[in-house]
Amino acid sequence: MRALVASLSLAALCLSGTGCAAVKPWERDVLARPDMAWEPDTLEAKRDAHVHYSKEASLPGGGAGGGGCGCN
Amino acid sequence: MKCTRSRSWRGTALALLAGLALVANASALEDGAKAPDFKLPSLDGGKSLSLASFRGKVVYLDFWASWCPPCLTSLPLLEDLRKQFPNDQFQILAVNVDQDVAKARKFLERTGVGYPSATDPKGRLPEMFGVETMPTSFLIDRTGVIRYVHHGFRKGDVGPLRERIAQLVAARPK
Amino acid sequence: MSHPARRGRRKARARSARRRAQRKRKPSALAALTSGALALPGLAGSAAAEGLIDQISSEYNFSRYSEGSIPASKVAPGSERGRYDIDMHQVHLAAPLGERFALGLDVVHESMSGATPWYVIPGDDGDPVQVMTGATVEDKRTDLLLEGKYYMDRSLASLSGGVSFEKDYFAINGGLGGQLDFNDKNTTLSSGVGVSIDSIDPTDSAEFPLRPDHEKKQSYSAYAGISQVLRRNVAIQSTLTYSLGNGFLSDPYKEALVLGEPVADSRPDLRNQIAWLSRYRHHFSSLNATFHTDYQFYWDDWNITAHTLEVAWYQSLFESFRLIPSFRYYSQGQADFYANYYDQARSDGYYSSDYRLSPFGAISWRLRAEAHFRTWEIDWVGSFSWQRYLSSGSYALGKVSAPNPGLVSFDLYSVGLTTRF
Repeated sequence: MRALVASLSLAALCLSGTGCAAVKPWERDVLARPDMAWEPDTLEAKRDAHVHYSKEASLPGGGAGGGGCGCN
Repeated sequence: MKCTRSRSWRGTALALLAGLALVANASALEDGAKAPDFKLPSLDGGKSLSLASFRGKVVYLDFWASWCPPCLTSLPLLEDLRKQFPNDQFQILAVNVDQDVAKARKFLERTGVGYPSATDPKGRLPEMFGVETMPTSFLIDRTGVIRYVHHGFRKGDVGPLRERIAQLVAARPK
Repeated sequence: MSHPARRGRRKARARSARRRAQRKRKPSALAALTSGALALPGLAGSAAAEGLIDQISSEYNFSRYSEGSIPASKVAPGSERGRYDIDMHQVHLAAPLGERFALGLDVVHESMSGATPWYVIPGDDGDPVQVMTGATVEDKRTDLLLEGKYYMDRSLASLSGGVSFEKDYFAINGGLGGQLDFNDKNTTLSSGVGVSIDSIDPTDSAEFPLRPDHEKKQSYSAYAGISQVLRRNVAIQSTLTYSLGNGFLSDPYKEALVLGEPVADSRPDLRNQIAWLSRYRHHFSSLNATFHTDYQFYWDDWNITAHTLEVAWYQSLFESFRLIPSFRYYSQGQADFYANYYDQARSDGYYSSDYRLSPFGAISWRLRAEAHFRTWEIDWVGSFSWQRYLSSGSYALGKVSAPNPGLVSFDLYSVGLTTRF
């Protein structure tokens, strides 16, 4: 448990900017592109999950957000 | 075993706090700060635009991009806002940060606004002003001091903005 | 190998099983055996919807799913060879409601018909062959899902609820999820939970003594994920999903041959599943194209391990068009209680000859074309795609000595139209 919390905080620190070059809010032109989305077409993604899930044993994974234009 | 347990939890807590401090966003220019002057080319190829040239007017400095949907929503609404104040009292100055300048021009043509837009594809100005999200705008009084920073844009923002602009326009310098 | 008398008796039982199979069989209505729409908000809504939408969008898609006929060498004599066909209509509507709220509605309607695998018997030459149900009359399924999203400056909360119904099946589901942005929105943490409660009332259960009357099932899921923007043109994401299935997890329309006698498909009433999905997106400005790759690792406590790898190339052309070829590879191991048919009874009483629990690999490729245009102040996107899917024991990562004869292949054609105003 201790180790888990410590490694998660370490991951947060690592990701928080010093290691990776952070992209500024005005530099998100490419990230805002529809083809940079996790699921550019939601209906297709749902269809795929439905068809594959009913023909195979596995689960459809998905779920997380992030990326994109980051606009308010 | 007993002694080390509390020590390593403290260590974890410190690490978390440090992490939080690092993830806190970079500081933007705030109310009361003097807006830095700048000179940038105009998006339509006309003569270059500088903030200092509008000293004496209330200025609404708006950072926008063609890839930012709320920015595009704001264009016609800001145009309406511009028309509600006399030209010699209030000025909207937009700064476009598109790398692909052609896209920005296309949007302006489609929407047709009456205020000028500077182009800053390298993003030096938003860096200087500490822009935290797109769009961000700075309301600057007649003496060049930032009086209000507006993050994001929603349709209902126009009303309160108009109030603030009206207050600043009414406050005449001595 | 085995005593000739025993072999003879087994052959006689297999013959009578085949004769039984030749009698006309009623529809297998529950084609999908999904737990409704897995009620995870991330799955339910649009995964990448960032800032609050300020436009109303609608999307419609029509798809035709068509399974290839089962080869003569793999099917029991007298059984149907044509397989399943599904026509699917999907509608998605999304609109902003006030300053920070958006509502989305998803409707799916499917019409299904055709024959499906029923149980597996040894064929004349010793290789297993599939006994199929009779071809069905059209059966329908409808799914409704409502999702609300609340947008804050650096976070998002979502709530969803839905229902799914078919003649023999009813499910209700709900989900709750949230997202938190850090580090100037370069890092995003997401998490959510979902639940689905299903009830199954198989058709004609009175006519088929092995078929259960009325069963229930519940699924509980949770996910946690992290996204990280690496560069201006590169982003990655990794999500861990856990799901618990409880209740009637068997297929009420399938059977398995145990010591020559058909027995109802009987699976454990508990299933723990984990899926770990990682995604990579990389845009190449000079090529005006984006590369996608996704990898998922799956494990469950029925002993199935599976790997999925997808790659796609989004090529933009002439301002308004996009061509997207993609390829998918899938491989799974078998459930520990699975067999084509059984020479011995199992002490735990679990039996299944369903190909979905068998070891196999699948390859599929798809080509999708999109056209974007703007008229009358509305943004339109038209799309068309074709996908071909093939599964086989020989595509699996491990060695498969006796693949299930019912492994499926299909073609999926889709046309769609999206509007934004």
